[in-house]
Amino acid sequence: MIDLRNLTIKKAHDHLTKGDFTVSDLIDAYLSVINEKNKDINAYIEIYNDIDDQVKIAEQMFANGTATLMTGIPIALKDNMLFEGHIASASSHMLENYKATYDSSIVKQLKNQGVVFLGRTNMDEFAMGSSTETSAYGNTKNPIDTSRVPGGSSGGSVAALAMDGALVALGSDTGGSIRQPAAFCGLVGLKPTYGAVSRYGIISMGSSLDQVGSFGKNTEDTEILFNAINDYDDKDSTSVKKEERILPKPLKKKIGVPRSFLTGDGVESDIIKNFEENCKRLEKAGYEIVDISLPLIKYSLAVYYIISPAEVSSNLARYDGIRYGLHVEADKLFDVYTKSRGKGFGREVRRRILLGTYILSHGYYDAYYNKAIKVRNAIKQEFEKAFLEVDAIITPTSPFMPFKFGEKLEDPVGMYLSDLFSVPANIAGIPAMSLPSGKNDIGLPFSLHIMAPLFREDILFTIGKDFEKQV
Amino acid sequence: MEIEDIKKLAVMARIDMDEDEMKEIAKSFGSILSYVGQVQEVSNLSGDEVATDNIENHKLHNIMREDIATNTRGEYTEKIMAEVPDTESGFIKVKQIL
Repeated sequence: MIDLRNLTIKKAHDHLTKGDFTVSDLIDAYLSVINEKNKDINAYIEIYNDIDDQVKIAEQMFANGTATLMTGIPIALKDNMLFEGHIASASSHMLENYKATYDSSIVKQLKNQGVVFLGRTNMDEFAMGSSTETSAYGNTKNPIDTSRVPGGSSGGSVAALAMDGALVALGSDTGGSIRQPAAFCGLVGLKPTYGAVSRYGIISMGSSLDQVGSFGKNTEDTEILFNAINDYDDKDSTSVKKEERILPKPLKKKIGVPRSFLTGDGVESDIIKNFEENCKRLEKAGYEIVDISLPLIKYSLAVYYIISPAEVSSNLARYDGIRYGLHVEADKLFDVYTKSRGKGFGREVRRRILLGTYILSHGYYDAYYNKAIKVRNAIKQEFEKAFLEVDAIITPTSPFMPFKFGEKLEDPVGMYLSDLFSVPANIAGIPAMSLPSGKNDIGLPFSLHIMAPLFREDILFTIGKDFEKQV
Repeated sequence: MEIEDIKKLAVMARIDMDEDEMKEIAKSFGSILSYVGQVQEVSNLSGDEVATDNIENHKLHNIMREDIATNTRGEYTEKIMAEVPDTESGFIKVKQIL
C-alpha cells in the first residue's frame, strides 16, 4: 500500500527512481481511491481512457533515464484546459461534446515531462462561481465536510486532491478560483503573475485577469508544479519573455498588513482571530509585520465585477452554435444563435453575459468600464508603492468559512463577496498564494493569503515554507 | 432596472430566456449595480492612471511577429470541421442570411 496521504512529488519521485513502486502502481493506487470516492464527491467529471498509454510513456522515461521530477506524477486537469482528443467542456452544456482539437501549452509542456493526466475535474460553469454549484454536471462536495461546498471555481481540482484522487492539480484563477477552493479544502493554491504561465488552450473567461496555477498539499509541491509550467509562450500574446521578468532580490523580511481592509462587512470574526495568530507565527519565523495603508484596495471587488463581466460578454460571444459547441435548430439564423446560447449557457453565465453587455453599452461605458479601468490602474500603482517597503502583503484568503450547499446560490452579491481578499491580486496582476493555517472547532480549515510583487513567486514560496514550519 | 431593458440586453447578447428569468435578473442587477457603483466614489485620480504601467522592467508593449503562416494549408481542417454541428460538402452550413 502506498501512503497517498503523506506522499509528495519528491517522495514519489524518489520511490519511482529507486523502484519501490512503478508508475503503474502509483496510478493504480490513485485510481482505486477515485473509484471508491468519486461517486460521492464528484470531483472528476471524466477519467481519461488513455491513462495506460500515458503510464507507458512515463515508465519508458524512467527506463531510459530521461525522467524528470514530474515524470509519472498523477495530475487532475480542470475542465477548461484543452487536452487534444479529450472533451473540455468548461462544465457547460454548451461544450459537453467539444473535443479539444489541440493541446493547451501547459498540457504540452507537462506531456513532455511525462506526467499522467488522470481526468478532468468539475468547475463552476465557464469558471463563474465560488462554490462549483453553477456546474452543469452537479455539485462537488468538500471532502472535509460533505455537506459543504469545496469552493470554486476550481472546486473539482481541489476536491480531487483533498480526497487523495491526485497528487497535484491544475486550476485557473480569474478572481480567486484557485486560492479560495484551496482555502476551503485545506490545501495550498497558487495564482502566478499575469503573464507567467501560458493561457494558450485555456477556455477564456476574463482575459485581462485569467491565469493558470497549481494546487498542492504543501508549498513545495505547488512550487514544483508551477516551475514545470512557468515559461514564455509565443502562442499567448500576454506571456512575458523570461528576460523581461523581474529577478529575485534578497528579502527585507518585512510583511505588510492592510489593516483597515480586513474589518469590512461580512468578514467572520473567527477568521480575523486566526489571521492575528498567523501574524504571530510569521513573527516567530523571523518576519517583521507592519501595518500598511492601501486606501483603494477595497474597491478591487467592485472593479472586478465590472471588468470581468465585460470581458466575459465579449469572450463568450464566440459560442454561436455554428462552428462548435451546442447547436439548436431553428428557422432563422438569429434564432439559431439565441436558442443555442439560451440552452447552452446556465443561469449564472447568462446573468454575467447580460451584465457585461449592459456595462459595455452606450451611455454606461464611461460610468462603469472606463472608470473601473482607471481605478484598476490606481490600485496597481498603490501595490507598486507598497512593495517598495514590504516583501509581501497578507490577508485571510476568504472572508468566510466553507459554506453549505445552496446557502449563497440565490444571493449573487453574497457569493461575489467570496472573492473580497483574493481579487486584488488579479486586478494588479501580482502573484498570490493561499495556504492552510489551522482548523476551527468543527474541523474546517483556515487559510492565509500572501501577495508578492510581479514575478516574485519565490517570495511566496519562501514565506510559505517558513510559515508551514510554524503551523 | 425594467424588464424591457433586460429584454433588449438579451437580444443584444443573443440569449433566449423566459420572463421569469428576466425578472430575476432585473432584480439582481439592482444589488449588483449598486455594489459595483462604489467605483464612482473614487475621486482624486491623478489622471495618469490610464495606460501607465511604469513597473520596473515591466512596461506594457505590443508583441509582434512576422506575418507568415505557421501551419500548412489544410493541416487542421479535418479536426476543426469535425466539431462543426452542421456541414455540407466541407462547408459550414448556416441558415439563409438575406
